[in-house]
Amino acid sequence: MSMDFLKSLTIAASGLRAQMGRMRIITENIANADSLATTPGGDPYRRRIVTFSSELDRSIGADVVKLGRVQPDNTDFLVRHEPGNPAANAQGDVKYPNVNTLVELTDLRDAQRSYEANLNIVTATRKMMQLTVDMLKG
Amino acid sequence: MPINDIPILSMLRERMQWQQARQQVLAENVANADTPDYQAKDLAPLDFSQQLTAALPLERTNPNHIADASGGGSQFATGGGGPYEVRPRGNTVSHEDEMMKVAGNQMDYEAATEMYTHSLNLIKLAVKE
Repeated sequence: MSMDFLKSLTIAASGLRAQMGRMRIITENIANADSLATTPGGDPYRRRIVTFSSELDRSIGADVVKLGRVQPDNTDFLVRHEPGNPAANAQGDVKYPNVNTLVELTDLRDAQRSYEANLNIVTATRKMMQLTVDMLKG
Repeated sequence: MPINDIPILSMLRERMQWQQARQQVLAENVANADTPDYQAKDLAPLDFSQQLTAALPLERTNPNHIADASGGGSQFATGGGGPYEVRPRGNTVSHEDEMMKVAGNQMDYEAATEMYTHSLNLIKLAVKE
C-alpha cells in the first residue's frame, strides 16, 4: 500500500539529482568565467547549458526527470582589445568566455528553488508515511 | 464480516489510496518543473456520491424501476483545469500551485488516517461493552 509513497520519493529524488547536476554545470560556468585560451588567438571557455527531459521509468511507471545532454552555448565570445595579453591574436584582440555571471547566479537561484520544492515533496511524503504507520498505535 | 467490508473503512481506504496516487502525480509535476513542454497533471477529484452509491448500492425492488446509471469509468483518471501560466519553454508547472496542493493533500490524508483510527476505536468500544 505504501508502495505509492516510495514511488513519490523516487520521483522527487530524480528531481533532486537533476537540479544538483544543473547546479554543477552552473558552478562550472561561474568558475570558468575568466578562463582564457591557452594559445594566442585560441577560443576561451565556452558556456555550457543543461537540458532536462522527462522519461518514463518503467520500474515505477511514472515520469521521472533526467538530465539530458549538456550543450554548448553558441553565442559569440566577448572580444576586448588587449595587445599585451598572452591569449591575444595577431591584431591584439582577446576573446573572453560568453559567461554572464549575473545570468548564472539567477539560474542558480532558480535551481535552488526547484531543489527546495523537490525536498518539500520528500518531507510531505515522509510525513504521510509516518501517519500511515501511526494508525497502528490506535 | 471482514473489516474491509465496513463501508466507512472501505471508503476511507479508497480515499487514502487516491491521495497516495495524487502525491505521486504531484511529485512528477515538481520533478519536471524545468522540463520543456511538460504539462502539469492532477487527478480528477474523488467523487463522494459515487463512492457512497458503491458502498451502499441502491436495490431495485421492482424490475420496472429505472436502473442506477452511476458507476463505471475510472475515478483515478488524470484531468486538470487550465494552467495558471505557461512559461516560455512550454512548461505549465507552477511551484506555488504544486506546494499548495501537496500541503492540502497531506492534511486530507492526515484527516483520513485520523478518521480511520477513530472508526476502529468505535468498533473496539462496541466489542468491549
